[in-house]
Amino acid sequence: MKVDRRMLGWGLLMSAALLLTDCRRADEVDPQDENELITTVRLNFTEQGTTTATTFEFRDPDGEGGNPPTRFDQIKLKPNTSYNVTVELLDESKTPVVDLTDEIAEKADEHLMVYTATPATLLTYTYGDKDSRNFPIGLTGTAQTGTAGRGQLKVQLRHQPPVNGTAVKNGMAAPGSDDVNLDFELIVE
Amino acid sequence: MMAITHDRYKIEKRIWAVACYLLLVFFVPAAYAQRQGCDCFVKGVVRDKHTGQPIPGATIAVLGENKGVSTDMNGRYQIERLCPGQYELECRIIGYQPYTETIDLIAGHEENFALAEDEIHLKDVEITAHRTDAPISQPITTLTGSELAQTRGQSLAESLKGITGVTTLQTGSNIAKPVIHGLHSNRVLIMNNGVRQEGQQWGSEHAPEIDPFIATRVTVVKGAAGVRYGSDAIGGVILVEPEELPIGKPLSGELNTVGYSNGRQGVVSGTLQGGVKGIEELGWRAQGTFKRGGNIHTPNYFLSNTGIRERNFSVAAGYRKKGFGAEIFYSHFATELGIFSGAHIGSVTDLLQVIKNREPLVKSGFTYTIGRPYQDVAHNLVKGEAHYHFADGHRIQWVSAWQHNDRSEYDLHRPRNDSLAGLNRPELTFRLTTFTNDIVWDHKPIANKLAGQVGISTLYQYNLMNGRPLIPNFDQWNVGAFLIERLVQNGWEWEAGIRYDYRYLTTYRLVNRVTQRDEFRFSSASGTLGVTRSISEKLSTRLNVGTAWRAPNVSELFSAGVHHGAASYEEGDPTLRPEQAINTVASVVYDNDKFNWEIGAYHNYIARYIYLKPQPEPILTVRGAFPYFRYTQTDATFTGIDASLGWKMTDRWSWKSKASYLRVYDQKNDQYLVMIPPNRWDNQLSFNIGEAGKWQKLFVSAGNLWVGEQRRVPANSDFAPPPPAYSLWNLTAGGTLFITQKQQVEVGLTVHNLLDTAYRDYLNRFRYYADEMGRNISLRLKWRFGA
Repeated sequence: MKVDRRMLGWGLLMSAALLLTDCRRADEVDPQDENELITTVRLNFTEQGTTTATTFEFRDPDGEGGNPPTRFDQIKLKPNTSYNVTVELLDESKTPVVDLTDEIAEKADEHLMVYTATPATLLTYTYGDKDSRNFPIGLTGTAQTGTAGRGQLKVQLRHQPPVNGTAVKNGMAAPGSDDVNLDFELIVE
Repeated sequence: MMAITHDRYKIEKRIWAVACYLLLVFFVPAAYAQRQGCDCFVKGVVRDKHTGQPIPGATIAVLGENKGVSTDMNGRYQIERLCPGQYELECRIIGYQPYTETIDLIAGHEENFALAEDEIHLKDVEITAHRTDAPISQPITTLTGSELAQTRGQSLAESLKGITGVTTLQTGSNIAKPVIHGLHSNRVLIMNNGVRQEGQQWGSEHAPEIDPFIATRVTVVKGAAGVRYGSDAIGGVILVEPEELPIGKPLSGELNTVGYSNGRQGVVSGTLQGGVKGIEELGWRAQGTFKRGGNIHTPNYFLSNTGIRERNFSVAAGYRKKGFGAEIFYSHFATELGIFSGAHIGSVTDLLQVIKNREPLVKSGFTYTIGRPYQDVAHNLVKGEAHYHFADGHRIQWVSAWQHNDRSEYDLHRPRNDSLAGLNRPELTFRLTTFTNDIVWDHKPIANKLAGQVGISTLYQYNLMNGRPLIPNFDQWNVGAFLIERLVQNGWEWEAGIRYDYRYLTTYRLVNRVTQRDEFRFSSASGTLGVTRSISEKLSTRLNVGTAWRAPNVSELFSAGVHHGAASYEEGDPTLRPEQAINTVASVVYDNDKFNWEIGAYHNYIARYIYLKPQPEPILTVRGAFPYFRYTQTDATFTGIDASLGWKMTDRWSWKSKASYLRVYDQKNDQYLVMIPPNRWDNQLSFNIGEAGKWQKLFVSAGNLWVGEQRRVPANSDFAPPPPAYSLWNLTAGGTLFITQKQQVEVGLTVHNLLDTAYRDYLNRFRYYADEMGRNISLRLKWRFGA
């Protein structure tokens, strides 16, 4: 029958169309990694006049979720003491480990580290570096501790990229969003 | 011969949609009018327009005359002994939309009795009524003609907002998803030109990848309709349907242009269609749309990075001869959507800061440039359809389709590393490929009373994922079979159906750098039982009890991560079981010259309803602690009322009022559920100017939309309380300019948010960050030619 042949032809055409499509398989999973991940925040405190650094660390090697962070140190400092402070930011989910500190230094115009102690009398942070527009960065600086006490040190990395081509970094914490926001326990004794 | 074109550009409520429609040709020879008395008659043939085949067993009745006949095996009918006068003819066929048409059996016949009967006494009235695959006993609203034209330029979800019981779930101003009776995403099924739309529907920020300009009819079926359409049709179904292909017809087309003041957005869409000279059996259509918009303005500030760019096109061709027909359709949808950059937050502290601030910290000016964050989405659909009408009335249809959805999401922040940043890779990519096949067999009506269809649907799908881990790769098989029967008797229409679905899902994900494979098997039976009773020509009632099911999707099974924008850590649960909905809908419809109203009440019980349940302990990340939510199941009820009233006060003044009420409750935990649309009331007062010179259908209207505050929310479940109630005013004016009989320009001017009210909507996920769009003036021009 004429009509039947036409239907058959149509069917063959459709089947051919199905066969000729993308043959990639779902079971070939691409290694899924974030473009960039901060897994580790390392704070190095060196008492002024000495060379020994004490390191305090937050570490979540598999990123957010999954396993809980493996390390979240208490920051223990002496009262009424000046420290040189540096910070290191790492992506330890990659092999080899990626050090993001240099990249932040390169893009200093859109990054700001913010250190906030609660209560404020525990620790005062002074920036020791500046970007091209003379705003602080906070990768290096000094910390002056106050009298003994317990509290928290909030460490933030504010990511402040330009909005619609206009720079927004103004030295204040407000613009942008958090790439790091950690409340370290702070013990001054 | 005189041809009368009947304009049907009005909202056709209760039109039960789909696929094909029938062509009715009435030959009305008011024979021998010089003879006094009742010798007039009406005769003709009833055809299915899509297949061109005559339909036996259709009933044709002259309303109020107690006269009715059925069409014979060749679709022919004849009603005799009618007196001269005006009559209303009604045509009913099971499985088709009933249709009424006014027939004048006097006009101009007496004086021309000397002419040949064929030349003057025959009157062709072309009536199109639509075949209904949708359940006849469920509330259905169709947007078509000028009602649809008024929504042109908007996204699919936005254009359905005017329908009672339908709202939107938004992510900023550009991304909108339709919400039916409080349900959305994977709980609403969209049928795009007869094919299940398969994108990444699970995401609340994933808008349907459909160009509404493709459709000349958009139908919303409210309530569970799982039997005909398969899984996911828990809240309802949206049918997006293009016009029938113009087989053997002359060239025609239309050009739509829309301009919006807000976002300085412009939309252009054109359609060209026709037959092929010398080959009567062919028809074709080509269509394309271009859209470009910039930053949106709220009453007080611009929203940075809220531009949009969209380029879509589709082509279709069809062949039809005798009982056989075939059609091929290809559509391409591509959009780039800027996402308001002020909504990117890194931590809970950031979010609380924005909420406290009441407005975005960084306000920008106007630009068309789309920067990060943005989405880049492309959707391709190839569909083939073939049908054959057997001489004895059976019909078989096969629809086969391939879809490819390619979604890339770009975060606000590029990688800091320059070489990585230079690649400008999206942070997330999903590529979903879907093959569907549907075969439906319509059996011939038994005793002119019982009609029905049996069908089988298959789906094969695979998803490939790159970037930040979010959902796993997967492939899945779906098989479903259904049977629906409809019975018409003495003003009662019964409908019953059953369906069985089976789904086999395999997921592939990396666990400690090793691929882990998980298998899931889901299956479910669905059923529907409905009845429609026409109490009189004006009053009818409907009752439907239907079930639908939905298997948990991969994001509900496996997601794990921080949802930016929502500042929450969300985690899936691989032990989830399918949801099962039992939906009861009852409605009463009344329609006379002065009043029309419809009241519908529904109760949707969803067993094992999947939702995000707050967990007591937060999740600690490098960006601080995030509230922790896990996908959990409960039993939920969605109870509501939709009411609409139309009142034609005078020839010129008319008033339309629509209200919807919804209450959603978590039965297991004795509390309300989050993100449920608040109650709303919409009023529109119209003044019909009528004709002026070459202008027709001139009107002005003013309206108000009131949306209440959602007070039914669980305690302490949100970062900020639901926004207060708001009230928006709008103005519309429009008309049609007839240049020639075959060329018209339809013009519409609308002002949305007339008073530039600053407000926020509970169902906008960006309600924490910024106000909604301010005043927006739009001008629409639609030029039609050849039709």
